[in-house]
Amino acid sequence: MTNADVAPIEIAEEDALRADMYDFIASLLRTEPSDELIAQVALLQGDKTPIGSACLTLAHLAKTIDNGLIRNEYVSLFIGVGRGEILPFASYYLTGFLNDKPLANLRSDMSAIGIRRAEGVKEPEDHIASLFDMMSGLIRGRFGRRFSIAEQATFFRKHIEPWADLLMRDIEAAKTVVFFAPVGTIGRAFLEIESQAFSMDGTG
Amino acid sequence: MEDTNKKDAVAGRRDFLKGSAVSVAAVGVAAVAGKSASAGEVEVVSGSGYRETEHVKAFYASARF
Repeated sequence: MTNADVAPIEIAEEDALRADMYDFIASLLRTEPSDELIAQVALLQGDKTPIGSACLTLAHLAKTIDNGLIRNEYVSLFIGVGRGEILPFASYYLTGFLNDKPLANLRSDMSAIGIRRAEGVKEPEDHIASLFDMMSGLIRGRFGRRFSIAEQATFFRKHIEPWADLLMRDIEAAKTVVFFAPVGTIGRAFLEIESQAFSMDGTG
Repeated sequence: MEDTNKKDAVAGRRDFLKGSAVSVAAVGVAAVAGKSASAGEVEVVSGSGYRETEHVKAFYASARF
């Protein structure tokens, strides 16, 4: 980030929790999890709700599966030899092709927000982790100003809602999945909560 | 009238989120996010609006956009 000069914006407690969830899921889907990240996942607590019980499962897996195997699983799921089992990009899910119109639309919206892909990031911007980073940034006001719930809803409905639920289901049901299955479950449950909450805002 | 409806809707949304799994289920998610390798995949364009740097131009050229 190059915006250290931007003063932090105070946000409501429930919005901070939403941003935390986006950051959490993005951190697990962005790249092969580090030892540090896996150690932290092992400390997750939960309860009987779908997200809470998936967190408990995930913590258990983080404690019991070898870290190298977790990273291998990430590679075979999302990177693969040639390609992984799952291509977590909006354009691919919406059109069947990478780098197609949905990516161009996203770039245009990113430009209007005033953000661009960070230097050194190689994946196209419509990667799920990247989109979740953007949602978190909009919620936290990290992009220079506070974005209203209506603006967050517009971004979510355009770039995430049409495909991310299917992606999370694909992760849960993938052939080679163990560790990442509860990540898909958490993602799916969280997206459902987001969809419902946005529909309650009275903005449409 | 419309303002009242909107206020109700906002309160409803807040209550829904506070009562949802997000607020109670997962203790420790923020700590996980803090251990992530990258602080984020996007960065704010310095100044106002979009600035097409050499880096971005090179990328667009390579991506044939």
